[in-house]
Amino acid sequence: MFQNYVQAALRNILANKVYGLINIVGLAIGLTACILIMLFVRDELSFDRFWAQSDNIYRLHTTFNVPGRQPFVTGSAQGPTKEALKAYFPEEIEYTMRFAQMRPVVKYQNKVFYERVHWVDPEATDIFDLQVVEGDLAVALSDNSSIALNQSFAQKYFGDEVAVGKILTMTTFGVVRDYKVAAVFRDLPHNTVLSFQALTMIDEQDFTHQPDLFSTWFSLNNWVYFTLKPGADISKVNAQLGSFADAAIIAPGAFEEGTKASDIVTYSTMPLTELQLKAPGGREMKPVGDQQTVIIFTSVAGLVLLIACINFTNLATAKSTQRAREVALRKVLGARRRQLIQQFISESVLLATAGLLLAIVFVELLLPYYGQFLDRTLTFSYTGTFGLTMFAGLVALVGLVAGFYPALVLSGFRPAHVLKANRSTETKGSSRLRSGLVILQFSISIALIIATSVVFGQMVYANSKDPGFNKENLLIVRNVSRDGVAEKQQILKDEILRLPGVVAAAYSADAPADGNESNSSVSIPGNPEVGSILIGRQLVDEDFFPSYEIPIIAGRNYNRDFAQDGIPDFSTAKPGEVLNGTLIVNEAALKRLGFGTPNDAIGKIVQIRTGSAGSDASFANLELIGVVADTHFKSLRKLVRPEMYYFVPDGFRNLTVRYTGDPLALLIQIETTWRDLAGDVPFSHSFVDEAMARQYLQEQNLATMLGTFASLAVLVACMGLYGLASFTAERRTREIGIRKVMGARVFDIVRLLVWQFSKPVLVANLIAWPVAAWGMIAWLESFPYRLDTWVLVPLCMIAGGLALAIAWATVGGNAARVARANPIKALRYE
Amino acid sequence: MLKLHNLSKFYRTDEVETVALDNVNIEIESGEFVAIMGPSGCGKSTLLNIVGMLDSPSDGDYIFMGENVAGYPESKLSNIRKQNIGFIFQSFNLIDELTVEENIELALLYHNIPAAVRRERVAKVMDKVGIAHRAKHMPSQLSGGQQQRVAVARAVVGDQAMILADEPTGNLDSAHGQEVMEMLQSLNAEGTTIVMVTHSPAHADYARRTINLFDGHVVTENLRAAV
Repeated sequence: MFQNYVQAALRNILANKVYGLINIVGLAIGLTACILIMLFVRDELSFDRFWAQSDNIYRLHTTFNVPGRQPFVTGSAQGPTKEALKAYFPEEIEYTMRFAQMRPVVKYQNKVFYERVHWVDPEATDIFDLQVVEGDLAVALSDNSSIALNQSFAQKYFGDEVAVGKILTMTTFGVVRDYKVAAVFRDLPHNTVLSFQALTMIDEQDFTHQPDLFSTWFSLNNWVYFTLKPGADISKVNAQLGSFADAAIIAPGAFEEGTKASDIVTYSTMPLTELQLKAPGGREMKPVGDQQTVIIFTSVAGLVLLIACINFTNLATAKSTQRAREVALRKVLGARRRQLIQQFISESVLLATAGLLLAIVFVELLLPYYGQFLDRTLTFSYTGTFGLTMFAGLVALVGLVAGFYPALVLSGFRPAHVLKANRSTETKGSSRLRSGLVILQFSISIALIIATSVVFGQMVYANSKDPGFNKENLLIVRNVSRDGVAEKQQILKDEILRLPGVVAAAYSADAPADGNESNSSVSIPGNPEVGSILIGRQLVDEDFFPSYEIPIIAGRNYNRDFAQDGIPDFSTAKPGEVLNGTLIVNEAALKRLGFGTPNDAIGKIVQIRTGSAGSDASFANLELIGVVADTHFKSLRKLVRPEMYYFVPDGFRNLTVRYTGDPLALLIQIETTWRDLAGDVPFSHSFVDEAMARQYLQEQNLATMLGTFASLAVLVACMGLYGLASFTAERRTREIGIRKVMGARVFDIVRLLVWQFSKPVLVANLIAWPVAAWGMIAWLESFPYRLDTWVLVPLCMIAGGLALAIAWATVGGNAARVARANPIKALRYE
Repeated sequence: MLKLHNLSKFYRTDEVETVALDNVNIEIESGEFVAIMGPSGCGKSTLLNIVGMLDSPSDGDYIFMGENVAGYPESKLSNIRKQNIGFIFQSFNLIDELTVEENIELALLYHNIPAAVRRERVAKVMDKVGIAHRAKHMPSQLSGGQQQRVAVARAVVGDQAMILADEPTGNLDSAHGQEVMEMLQSLNAEGTTIVMVTHSPAHADYARRTINLFDGHVVTENLRAAV
């Protein structure tokens, strides 16, 4: 019986090659999209599941709720939380550990590199089961002069020699120390949010001059992981994180009267296995994925497959009249309806299987490029449970979704009627359903085109929006705070300024597109009810504004000739002493401070405080001497930050160089200057415009993926349209012949056929426009600075026009061929 | 009205050349009623198609109203055709998806005639063939005879000077067949030239002249006094 079905199906496919081809290729494209996306999703879901304790590892997250600002959400926590957590949750928490990421200079013989090294607590070995291949990890993390390396790192410095026992010299915050390699571990696989190549133990005594790293409650420089004791419940920990914050955070004077620590700092925890898709943003060891992207891509791949399934349904029902005789005869010979349904579903399953085989070929061809695009290696095993389940599932799904309705229609023909009339006229219902499905296909395609264009448009908009400074021709020289350079900053700047093509140069702590977040709280003397206001802080020198070309709206720039300009030197200040200085702020800060117009603000005083303990704090009264325009130093996903520009003599990490002419030639000269001055300290640079464009990489990838899917959707939908059009033309040959005899020209006929298929595309626009507009407006909401909503109007119209043009091109050629045919052929035979 | 001079038509496939018409010479005057007879495959339909400009001759001349249209391109033929020639087919060839009225209107649709005028003319011709009460019906709801009447109405609605009928009674029973023949005869009496292919000697008798074809040749021409 089954063999008979397969035979009938195969003959039917072979007899209608266009029909078979459209279905198989269409399904193959849809299945390819689905398989590739499933591979990606499976990989995303596999993150951090390989650890022995993967279900028992959690990370502590911190959110700062600064009044008047967007909450500052991070995946990090303060250094002191490590001990505080254990102390507050003795019953629940077993081990806690921190990762702190630094970039010391690493030296071994003549090899000197600027490397990423992680300082960790010894409990790392109790939480993460790294695969040690040499030495002993516990030993490596037991003192402050041992280090553990991964295999690539060991290979880089020691080649094939045994690494354990070798000595590396690292310079960290000016301290030069020899580290003995005590363990080598296997490189981490790609499917973890962790990324480290070298681990050494945190000895807080080594960082007493960098209290921000491990000991203060207002810096987030650690990723804090912990495990639970057997039987402990994470929800119990979560429920008490508010009281934990109040109990643990000891910072007298940091909060206003009546404010609790938990009002400002909110903690939350997240299982390690969820981090890849749900990490809250902010700094991570490497870029993480996000759930929204996974959901978007999964649904879009599903939609492409749906379009391919619709092709099958449509072509099968359109062709059903041709198979009516077969159905009628089978029924006359005793077939029951259920058997016929089985037959037709087997046929769609057979086609789906053929599509799948072709899809596997496509997947194999595309996998390397796809992996490159996703920046990871994906492999596809056909025989594994995942592969087989996916194949069987997809074939069954497609077979049923695509084949059910045609099976119902075909099996419903009444033999007496069919055999008597010798042909079956189609029911109104199935031709209406077909139009409906074509409308659905084109709605999806048009919506995808609109989505692609909006994402792309937002990227272009963000990239071309005036950031408030001139981002072109700016080069950042990094590492200027390193030992060996920090003390020669003035000479370095002078030397670079002397190079031809250098227009200006300025030191600052942060550079555009850096993720750093520094804030200071200020108060207004004589206006105590305002309280303390937290405002962003940037450290700059006097050349910062001219170099970035940031306009000064009121007042003046800092000037070295005025001894009082800038932040006073607190180093000799006595507790309670009030020093004087000057300050420049941006317009957003002015609004926060409530100082009215920029001109009104000049001469007003704000007060800052140094030291955290109330009694030994000293103060500075800063007179506002200038107001500058707001600038976007960060992605347009963030609002403009109220900013105070501290004029200070040091603390800079970047030197910004404004240049004219060939940047590469200049770069070589700057690097030479650097080598002469800084010797071993590695040179590192970036271009501001590139760094800012990189912030939109996520949008760019989204646009690429959506664009690809939109093209596939349109392609598959058009294949279906082509099939339907050729079928219709075939069915209407007689009518076309009659019309031609009546004097219709080729153009009249083409117009007739093309119009038939323009209608569903036009209706599809009416559905796609509001849906896509609604979705894309919601997407744009996440950008404080975004495309005007009205831009959607032309984008929708262009997308609709494009779809229509493509549909015309698809149908037109076929229609013209049919219209040119000699009418007598159509009329002579019945 | 028209003159065929040494007209030939052959079909070529890769290996065989089939001669459908071989040196046919026929002249048909305005207002004539001509029947073309002959066994199956003798070239009747080919002849009718060439006369109706649905097909072009391979050789020879076709003078239609003083113009040699033998080498004319499709678009020019289409223009002459729609102005002057109406068609009636054995299988009616009505469009299933259009009503009776719309089927008839089709013959005027490609003539740049305003809709109001079209409606008026369609109504008139429906009266004439006695199908007005079926105006809104679909062809599938009509009997064969009624369908052929619609086809006749369609053929004459444009005031065509000549009607080509390809076995117009072939699919009809004798009563309906006679009805259609009488309709053609009365059209002829009003001055329309009619060229009809038929198998039925009885129906051929309605014509004033019969041309017998055999294997692509004209074998006899019989003149008959008007009935």
